[in-house]
Amino acid sequence: MTKRSIPKSSKVDGRRLRSERTKQLIIEAYLALASEKSPQVPTAAQIAERAGYSVRSVFERFPDIHGLQVAAVDHAMVQVAALAPSSDTDGDRQTRIRTQVEKRGRTCERWLPLWRSLVVNQGESAELRQRVVGLRERLVGRLESMYAPELSTLPDGERRHLLIVLESLVDVESWARMQEFFGLSFDESCAAWAQAIDRLLPPTPAGPLTAGSLTPASSLPTG
Amino acid sequence: MSKSPASKPARIDGRRLRSERTKQLIIEAYIALLRENPELPVPTAAQIAQRAGYSVRSIFERFPDLNKLRIAAADYSLAQAAALAPARHVDGDRATRIRSQIETRAGTCERGIALWRVLLFSAAEDEDLKLRVRISRDRTIERMELMYRPELQALPEPARKYMLVALEAITDIESWARMREQHGLTFEEACAIWARAIDRMLPPTPTA
Repeated sequence: MTKRSIPKSSKVDGRRLRSERTKQLIIEAYLALASEKSPQVPTAAQIAERAGYSVRSVFERFPDIHGLQVAAVDHAMVQVAALAPSSDTDGDRQTRIRTQVEKRGRTCERWLPLWRSLVVNQGESAELRQRVVGLRERLVGRLESMYAPELSTLPDGERRHLLIVLESLVDVESWARMQEFFGLSFDESCAAWAQAIDRLLPPTPAGPLTAGSLTPASSLPTG
Repeated sequence: MSKSPASKPARIDGRRLRSERTKQLIIEAYIALLRENPELPVPTAAQIAQRAGYSVRSIFERFPDLNKLRIAAADYSLAQAAALAPARHVDGDRATRIRSQIETRAGTCERGIALWRVLLFSAAEDEDLKLRVRISRDRTIERMELMYRPELQALPEPARKYMLVALEAITDIESWARMREQHGLTFEEACAIWARAIDRMLPPTPTA
């Protein structure tokens, strides 16, 4: 009986898959430790031990801890995006406000420790700073989608300014303060945000929103 | 003519005053370094000493460690905020009160952002710093309760509490920093954004 040789492409694919899996486990270990130690950044040795690999394995896959942090943020962003289906931009004003604040609240609860770690350590890495800016832009984009009918009634400058205020209102640290400083529950925090957003938004225009009634969403200037 | 010896209390007072003054200069040097280098790690004792014009030894004669210096800087900053930002136009009309509170708050934010970031980072593990952060937030809330009393009184609970929560979030020091640093807004433009938002959020002012 002759031994069947494994095709080279399968061997390479298998190796690549295992390497990707290891990378994933390292990212997950980092995320778990970052949450526990936030805002301190876990060391490579701590991450390796948690993941069940050697420090060498960590640095074979990531150039440095900043590189790992960037990969972890990208992983987190994919997870957050998956929670926000496009269909929830429909609905009346109160439904959209409630949907947005509840979703945002859950995101903040889950990602607060990582966010703090990211913000505190961003000074040391241009890529991390980019990610922080990118995350904020994504949030603003989401707010633009959810409140498109109301925002469409505003001139461009006023709309941009209102988005700046909304972004501050629903910032991750704002959520944290509601819980930690003001002692609000999840539902009370959502109610506080909902009240504020309802007051900040202009009246909802009557009738269905048509594609032509929206001016192109202008991205906010970045530093 | 016999020389009368300098009275001991006066000598001690002079020495104490000079020591306090040195302490003050060290604190100011620390805060100045934070403001000038927001992207860099916290200043070292050597850097602070050089900026203040003293030796490293002088620093540690007055502060057991840099954490104590941080706490002293926080206290100094709180006192400065209180002195430079008294409540003005408390009895003015709605627009005047909003403008007054915002300009005062904005000034505090401009002066305090660098130190604030250091405090927040360190407060997680230091109860003394946590307390200073809490005091700062409490004062901010109290100021808003004072300046917007007519409007807030018109709200039932918990709407009133939620309003304060939202006002605090919108006028947070990092919110100010983003408007200035990330969005490139001038002091006046950023104040105008806050003013419009607060005017939108507050309920109508009750008629007298």
